[in-house]
This record gives sequence, structure tokens and C-alpha cells, in this order.
Amino acid sequence: MKRLAIVLCTMFAAFAHGQTAYPSKSIRLVVPFPPAGATDILSRDLMQRVSARLGQQVVVDNRPGAGGTIGSDLVAKAAADGYTLLMATTSTHSIGPTLTPKLPYDPVKDFAPVSVIAVSTNLLVVPSSLQVNSVKELVALAKAKPGQLNFGSSGTGTIVHLSGEMFRHRTGTDIMHVPYKGTQLVVPDLISGQISMLFDNIVSAQPNLKTGRLKAIGISSLKRSPLMPEVPTIAESGYPGFEASVWFGVYAPAGTPKEIIARLNREIVAALHSPEMKERLAILGAEPIGSTPEEMAHTVAGETAKWARVIKDANVRID
Amino acid sequence: MESGLLANLALGFGEVFRLQPVTMWGVAFQQVPFNIIMCFIGCLLGTLIGVLPGIGPIATIAMLLPATYALQPVAALIMLAGIYYGAQYGGSTTAILVNIPGESSSVVTCLDGYQMARQGRAGAALSIAALGSFFAGSVATLLIAAFAPPLAEVAFKFGPAEYFSLMVLGLIAAVVLAHGSVIKAIAMIILGLLLGIVGTDVNTGTSRFAFGVPELSDGIGFVAVAMGVFGFAEVITNLEQKEHREIFTKNVTGLWLSWADFKEAYGAVLRGTTIGSFLGILPGGGALLSSFAAYTLEKKWSKNPETFGKGNIKGVAAPESANNAGAQTSFIPLLTLGIPPNAVMALMVGAMTIHGIAPGPQVMTERPALFWGMIASMWVGNLMLVILNLPLIGLWIKLLTVPYRYLYPAILVFCCIGVYSVSNSEFDVYLTALFGLLGYVFVKLECEPAPLLLGFILGPMMEENLRRAMLLSRGDATVFFTRPISAGLLIVTAILLITILSPKIRKKREEAFQEE
Repeated sequence: MKRLAIVLCTMFAAFAHGQTAYPSKSIRLVVPFPPAGATDILSRDLMQRVSARLGQQVVVDNRPGAGGTIGSDLVAKAAADGYTLLMATTSTHSIGPTLTPKLPYDPVKDFAPVSVIAVSTNLLVVPSSLQVNSVKELVALAKAKPGQLNFGSSGTGTIVHLSGEMFRHRTGTDIMHVPYKGTQLVVPDLISGQISMLFDNIVSAQPNLKTGRLKAIGISSLKRSPLMPEVPTIAESGYPGFEASVWFGVYAPAGTPKEIIARLNREIVAALHSPEMKERLAILGAEPIGSTPEEMAHTVAGETAKWARVIKDANVRID
Repeated sequence: MESGLLANLALGFGEVFRLQPVTMWGVAFQQVPFNIIMCFIGCLLGTLIGVLPGIGPIATIAMLLPATYALQPVAALIMLAGIYYGAQYGGSTTAILVNIPGESSSVVTCLDGYQMARQGRAGAALSIAALGSFFAGSVATLLIAAFAPPLAEVAFKFGPAEYFSLMVLGLIAAVVLAHGSVIKAIAMIILGLLLGIVGTDVNTGTSRFAFGVPELSDGIGFVAVAMGVFGFAEVITNLEQKEHREIFTKNVTGLWLSWADFKEAYGAVLRGTTIGSFLGILPGGGALLSSFAAYTLEKKWSKNPETFGKGNIKGVAAPESANNAGAQTSFIPLLTLGIPPNAVMALMVGAMTIHGIAPGPQVMTERPALFWGMIASMWVGNLMLVILNLPLIGLWIKLLTVPYRYLYPAILVFCCIGVYSVSNSEFDVYLTALFGLLGYVFVKLECEPAPLLLGFILGPMMEENLRRAMLLSRGDATVFFTRPISAGLLIVTAILLITILSPKIRKKREEAFQEE
């Protein structure tokens, strides 16, 4: 009996966690998108540096599907011990909640923000056969030919789609939305002129801009991009305040201890401010941010509200 | 244009032989010709699975797709392509020596090839198969290099209406050219179309046939379907049958071709190459159709048709050249239009997508090194394969003696690992098992699974293009007939339909397929 008691006590002792320093084992960063996509590459680049600073490996775990909601749900329901994190983006936490009311997780209550990593914007490109060279001319053409111009997107409810809707609403033009399964799939039809415009990723648009098949007439950020400083922002082309950008940020499950979040934030921000990281992000067309958890909550809330307005104005629905 | 072609080929060969730093197992190597190595691995694997009956290029490519994530896209695609045309070489070996087609496209090679082996002429048969295949492969590579750029320019004129019509042609062609019963082929295509609908609709965002299961909201993974229906089902079927193989290994002495044999066969090689090059491009075409057509036509044009089936070397030369030419030219629609003409190319579309390459005419301009590198690697691969297949014949023979009970657990394990690694999802593995069961049912019902895969891939693409064409034409359905290319394609489809329905041609088709 005494022996049994000792064995039982030893067994229970195994469950007791001492106050070991964080992190004491490898951390899992869930990326809810397929490998080799922008979110994935960004995550891997950053986590390589953060791992070095933390002294523990941060392993990227790709869990794609359902627009990023499968991976997000996984982290929402994971243990809040700082060993499972999520790389979220606009579509999972700003647009998703408004479009899909039946999400299995609550984007605000189930997560604790850590930091906004980066922000990327899109170029407004048109085929070279279209006789416009600026946003003003494009809007004039659209108003002269209502219902005849259209814009492509990477799917209903994506940021490319909603950028187009926002553009339509602000400019008061009648342009039609034509969804595709990915921005790159729009390009052949854009080149042949069947699609009139597209909000394309600044980096993937480069080859076609160089060969002259496409023209860039605007950029959707508030400030001009260092990658293409000659392209005016849509905001300065007559629509002040027009901004459509994608944020990438790290979340931990709600209830993760504040010290762990503070530690993660510190290392992530430090890794982001290295010159190599800036370069790597520029290759993806993104700019490093590195905000505090409070700033992240504020940014995400603002973006969610903005896109909610666009969705309501454009009456975008997913059944 | 000439200098353009040479410059492109130079770029391609440069890419194939490019030395790059590679880190393997923690060791950093500086100057490694990685792409060539991947080409060799692909060809080796292709020959291996070509030789082994019971596993084919579709299942292998599906299995290896996830393993290529870590590789650069060029290397990955070169390897996967090598598997496909390598399998054509390997399949002939078993067809000639054991009367078992290692590949479905080697079926006709069995007819005369095995007879030649029984007459002690196995060496000649194997040589002409390998040399004919090499010639055809080289010609096909040149054709791709010469015709791809102009075809890509034409492709830019392709809008959704044209793509839709081309895919309709492809599906109808798949029916016409499928084995066996037409009704069954249609049924499989429709089943494939239905399975393809599962998921989120691109135009409205509505979830269809997902039954609230989040893993299905992006559709059923094609890797799961391909591996289940081709890989698992094959294993289950093979386990049912007892193994008994008569192998003519001892008769493989002279691997050299006599001058007389060469004179007799070279015409068949030329004819086979032409037929294969042409049929490979067509939707529904590829290695299988090319080999059948070449054999049938060779027999028709021969002065002594009764010698076919009794060891006529032309009966080996023609289909072997045709199947290699067909296998390679079937890359043309993939690399220029981004449209898969057959099930294997459908998997290559998947491979390109996984690597973040949107297949289509812009691949040539946006990633010329990848495009021309792939084409150049095909020729290099063909060269490697001749070397692999002639001197190393003994090695392949030994493989045929491995009992299946050691082979199949390995196949199953690799399939499961491959499927899991696509999305780190156990759900996918269960799905594959389900499709394996389904695949077995298809085998029992004598239904061809390839049309299912084609319908599965082409169906959603067709729907997307149909609706987009209607969107762009503002609801005007006559756009499919008013746009010239689209109209032309639909007319060809109509002709094909009439062909399949006309009784005289139906009879001929059944005759051709009866020779198995």
C-alpha cells in the first residue's frame, strides 16, 4: 500500500511544471495558408531570426484551408502556454468575421495579440491596350462607358475583391467584379484586355510591367512605395484616405501569460528591425511594422471596421 | 525565329546543367548540378515503376508531389516529368520480356514484342524499343521548342469562351478515346465532374456539397483522389490475383540490332513518331492513345498484316516511338495554355500550382528559365533513359522477381505519408482510403478511372470558364459561337461526337481495343 502511494505520488509529480524559463521547448507557429505563399515565406523568414534570439526552434506548421479559418481555429483552441502561435492576416481576422458569421472561433475574444509583423499593398494595373495612364483617366473612361469595364479578383471576399469594391464606391463608377481562383490567374485575361483592371501584388506584377504588357497607374497604400516611387497613390490621385493594405500579425491563444507575450513581442520587434529582414520583406512587397500588442488590437479593430463598411456598402455576401 | 529557337534552347540547357549550392543533411555543397540529378532520379524512378506492373506514373507522381515542396520548382517539375516519360521506356521492358504491360501504353508492345522474345529476338525488340523511343523523344523535344512560343502567342487570344470550348473538346475526346465501353467512360467523367464541384464556388463564395465539413470547403484534394483511385485500388486488385510470371531473361544475349532489322523498322519509327507527336497534343491524347493508334495504323498500312502479332518488329517500333512522342508533346498544352490534355498532365498542373506557378501562357515569359529548362531536360532525360534501359536491363529483370508481398506495404506507406504531407491533415488520409475502396469497385465494374480524374480536374475549370465567359459577355450565350477560335473548337467537338456515334466507326474502335 505504501509502495502504491509512493508510485502514485511520483506519477502525479510528473505533471507538475516547475518554473522553467520560457521557452523550454520548440514553439509551433501555425500558418493557415499553403506553403510557398506570401504568408508562409514571410513567417519562415521571420521565425528563422526569432528562433535564434529565443534559443528555441519556432517551427512553421502549414494548416491551409477554408480561407485560413482551419488553422486559426486550431490555435484558438490550443493551450495558452505560449507554445502555439498563429500568423494571421487581414482575411482571417478582419474580413473573415464579417463575411462568415458562423466562424468556429471569435477573432477578438479567442486570441491575444502579439505584434503586427508587416503590411503589404497592391498595385492597380491595367492592360497596356487600355488608353488610360492615370487613375483620373481610368475613372473618366469608366464613367463614359458604364457597365463595360470590369475588375478581376482572387475570389469573392478577398482583399483584392474588396479593394476593387472600395474603388468602385469611392469613384462612383459602374465596374463589374469578375472573380478568379487566384490573382495570377487573372493575368492572361488582363493582358488580352478582357479584364480592365486588377489590384495585383506589387512584386508579382513586375515581369509583366517590365515587358510592357501591363501598366501600373496607382498604388493602394497611403504613401508611395520605395519599390516603385514613380507610381502615385490612389489617395493622391483624387481620393484622399483611400487605403487598401494587407496586415500580417502574430496571435497567441487568449489567456497566454502577459510575460510570455511581452517576451515574444520583444524578440519579434528586434528581429524585424534588422536590415536583412527589411530586405526580405521588400522582396515580398511588404514593409516591416513591429507593433506592441495594444497597437495590434487597435489596428485590427480599425481594419475590421473599415472592411465591414466596404462589405456592407457593396453588399458582398457569402451564403 | 531560328536564332530565337537556339537562344531558347541554350537557356534551357544552361538551366539543366546549372551548378548551384545545395545543402543536404546539414552539409553544404557548393557546385552541384542539381537539376540534372533530379532529372536522373525522375528517369530512374520512371523506369522502375514502368517496369513494375501494378504501379504507374499517375500514382507515383501523386505520391511524390508533396515531397517536392522543399525543392525549387524547376527541379521538382523536371523530376516529375522524368517519371512520366521514363515510365514509357520501362513499360516496354516488361511488355517484351514478360508479356505484362508495365504501363497501359505498353499494352500493344506485348503483342509483337513478347513473340519476338519467344523467338529469341528479345535483344532486337528491346533495342528498337529504346532507340525508337529516343528518336521520338528528341523529335518531340524539338517540336515543343519550335512550336511552343507561337502557340503561347495564340494562347493569349484565348479567353474564357475558348478555354471552355477546348475543355469540352477534351472531355468528349477522353470519352472517344477511352478503353472499353463508352457509357462507362461517360459515367466516370460525370462522377469526376460531380466530385470536382465539392467546395467553395468561385463566383458566389457559396459552399457546395461540403456538408459543413471545413476540410471539404476547399474541395476534395486531387492528390487524395489520384492516390486512392490509382494507387490504393491497384494494390487491392493486385493482392487478389495469384502471381505467375514466365520470364525470358536467358534469351537476352545480343542487344545489338542487325542492319536488316534496322532497315525494316526505321520507317515504322518515323511513322510512329509523327502520329505520337500529333496525338499527344490533342486533348485526351498522350502516350496511351498514340501507341494504340500507331500500332493499328502500322498494321493497316503493312503489306503483310497477318505477320503482326507474331513477332513483326514494326509492331514494336511504331507504338514505342509513338508513346514516347505522345508523352512529351502532351506537355505542350500544359506549358503553353496551362490546360492538361490528360490525367498525368492534370497532376502536373497540380504540381505547378503547389509551387506557386499559375500554369498558362505567361509561364513562358515570366519564368523562361523554368520553361526552357523543362524542355531541355526532356531531351537529356531521353538520353539518360537509353543508357538506363539498354545496359541495365539485367537489373530491371531482377526487380520483377521481388514478391509482391514485400512491395505493396511499402507502396501503401509511401502513399499515406504523401497524402498527409500535402496539408498536414489526417482527414486527407481517410479520404484517400475511401477513394481506394471506390477505385477497387471501379476495377470490379470494369470502369476506367482515368476519365474520372480528367473530369475531376477539367470539370471545375470548365464551369469557371463557362460562367466567366457569360459574365464578360453580359449573359449572351452566343459568345461561344461568335468568337472564331471557340466556334472552331466546338465544331471539332461536334465532329468527334458524330464519329463516336456512327456505328461503322464504333465497330472499328472495338476491334482496335479488342487486341488486348
